[in-house]
Amino acid sequence: MPVWLREHSWRQTLTAVYLSLPLRGARATAADIFCSERYLKVSVPPFLFEAILYAAIDDTNSTAKIGNGNIFFTLCKKEPAMWDSLTLGNAGKEKLQYLRENAVLKAQEKAKEETEAKKLAKQEHKKYALEATMKLEEAERKRIEDLKEKEREKVTKELELWKNQQKDAYKYKSVPKKGESHQETEPLKERKTKKPTKTRIPDEGTSKIRLKSTKGCHGSCSIFSPNLKAEQLPAPRAAATIRVNFTPRVFPTALRESRVAEEEEWLHKQAEAQRIINSDLSELEDLKEEEKNPDWLKDKGNRMFAMGNYLGAVNAYNLAVRLNDKLPLLYLNRAACHLKLRNLHKAIEDSSKALELLTPPVPDNENARVKGHVRRGTAFCQLELYAEGLQDYEAALKIDPKNKNIEKDAEKIRHLIQEPMQSS
Amino acid sequence: SAAAGLERPQVVSHVQQALSYTVFDCKWVPRSARLLCLGSAARGTGLVQLYELHGARLELLREIEKPKPIKCGTFGATSLQHRYLATGDFDGNLNIWNLEAPEIPVYSVKGHKEIINSIDGVGGLGIGEGAPEIVTGSRDGTVKVWDPRQNDTPVANMEPVQGESKRDCWTVAFGNAYNQEERVVCAGYDNGDIKLFDLKTMSLRWETNIKNGVCSVEFDRKDINMNKLVATSLEGKFHVFDMRTQHPTKGFASVSEKAQKSTIWQVRHLPQNRDIFMTSGGSGSLHLWKYEYPALRSKKDSEGSEMGVAGSVCLLQNVTLSTQPISSLDWSPDKKGLCVCGAFDQTVRILIVTKLNKI
Repeated sequence: MPVWLREHSWRQTLTAVYLSLPLRGARATAADIFCSERYLKVSVPPFLFEAILYAAIDDTNSTAKIGNGNIFFTLCKKEPAMWDSLTLGNAGKEKLQYLRENAVLKAQEKAKEETEAKKLAKQEHKKYALEATMKLEEAERKRIEDLKEKEREKVTKELELWKNQQKDAYKYKSVPKKGESHQETEPLKERKTKKPTKTRIPDEGTSKIRLKSTKGCHGSCSIFSPNLKAEQLPAPRAAATIRVNFTPRVFPTALRESRVAEEEEWLHKQAEAQRIINSDLSELEDLKEEEKNPDWLKDKGNRMFAMGNYLGAVNAYNLAVRLNDKLPLLYLNRAACHLKLRNLHKAIEDSSKALELLTPPVPDNENARVKGHVRRGTAFCQLELYAEGLQDYEAALKIDPKNKNIEKDAEKIRHLIQEPMQSS
Repeated sequence: SAAAGLERPQVVSHVQQALSYTVFDCKWVPRSARLLCLGSAARGTGLVQLYELHGARLELLREIEKPKPIKCGTFGATSLQHRYLATGDFDGNLNIWNLEAPEIPVYSVKGHKEIINSIDGVGGLGIGEGAPEIVTGSRDGTVKVWDPRQNDTPVANMEPVQGESKRDCWTVAFGNAYNQEERVVCAGYDNGDIKLFDLKTMSLRWETNIKNGVCSVEFDRKDINMNKLVATSLEGKFHVFDMRTQHPTKGFASVSEKAQKSTIWQVRHLPQNRDIFMTSGGSGSLHLWKYEYPALRSKKDSEGSEMGVAGSVCLLQNVTLSTQPISSLDWSPDKKGLCVCGAFDQTVRILIVTKLNKI
């Protein structure tokens, strides 16, 4: 509970009120002063001073000086008049309360207004600063533009001059003879007149004249008459051919178009696959040397397939796979055998395995991938799984859109899919 | 720093001309303020337009239409008196035209089975010595050298070995023509091969591969002992080879620079200063470069053979003129800094590069 501070002294003039509040030992720095037009409150813990002023004051211009153990207020009166007393006496509690609240509200409004005004002022300053910098930059830019323009004009003038020179040189070229003769006749006349007075000079004069005429023509004529050179030209070269080789690349696409990373990966994979040998088979020792080579076995399988010996081909491929399970072509070809043998599930398995091994998809393994998709698609269709079959055919078409057979087969499958739906 | 920037050469755009056809090549007519635009009209015919520079605009003096679209042209092998234009077209025909009477070509041969991508001429215009010759490089994988005095058969034919799959030849250039006998042809292919053919010994003198397709090759000067060769490629890279010292195994030393992300379509050296060159890019930009020589141009390797030392390249200026590739570029041989470029936005632009004297 704060202690009301009752002791205060004041005096007034017509325009101001001087109020002095003693701070009895309280710390002046902790003084909290709240002032509005009619209301003054000072809180200096533990003291509290409150006054409802007799008349309105201009609180923005009023001051408070804190020091020397008291607070000295200089309150400017709004209306110059003598006050009967500092505070409004006979004020009821409610009125006091009301006035207090009013004062607080007013103070808040004022604070708000002040911040608003500050903001606006700041914005104005910013704008101004921005405009000023923009002007400076504009000026700089204009200066550079002007310099450039001047340069342009200068250069254009020079160009015109040069052009005219060219024109003149051109004209001069077409009438060299006339000019020459003209030059010669005039000095001759001079020579004749000079003859009686000086005898040696005419000779010099003529030689000079001749020099002049050749010099005058030299600038333009010599470059226009390289006829002398024509006689010195060598005969056409003896015809010959030079054969060239071009730098090879595995994939004949320019660096920009090739998918180098993927292609390298594919090549690497192929190389790796070639080197794998599954050596943990005890039966291997029984095999002949050539039978241990997956490629030889693959060729054998191919030959048997061609002759119609599908079981034999499958055996050959099986052995090859046991030796090296990373060669996609083995699975591909075995899938073809299984199709012929109507081992449809096995055909699907093998085609899938082959397609798995044929990643990443690059132009080099396009053919193999097409075959893989077609064989798997065929197997699906023969199992009456037409939707899956169509998927594979469409994948094949995507790789090789120009293949008519695949297109026809895909169409057939589509019809097959639609027919049962229509009938049911 | 902006002011310092102004001390560098500036590329000033002088004139812009919209064309109603695709322009593939543009060339200044020597000793004049005229230029030629070569290309393909919408209806599939070839067009040659002759313009003259008048102040701030181009005046069309003449338009010549030919049955096949024209890909490239050169004045390199013609005399200054005649100024005949040699062209390569989409059908593989090499023709030489007298622009005063263009109805019938002065020389014509069906040199290649497919489009002639690039053409160069040497021995004309009073520059250098030796016979006038034209070289053409085609998509059929061959590079052929022609002498206008010999009909029908080329004087040199660089073709793939029997059975070898062909690669498109995208660019050709003459060089080393410093006397009557010496001459080399440099050819760039779409697989990144660069081959140097010696016409005196009729042999392959050097080859290398820069991994990306070679769009343009040019020697800094055709008529001197070969000094530098610039090769530009796809993916924004170009290589500058020092051609003065050939190592028996390592070939020529080079420095490479990646200028931008897109293809560098053309490189052209300034005729008046062989160490300055401009590259044009697929993003519609032009870059002006200067080559700086190293302190010593050659050194001995561990076995005692001479090998070249490449210098460095510094960018003088760059400017973006268009959104489409600038496919052709030509400096005027008569006015330093004046150049013409043609872009795939069907516009030909005349540019002036300033302050080249101060380099």
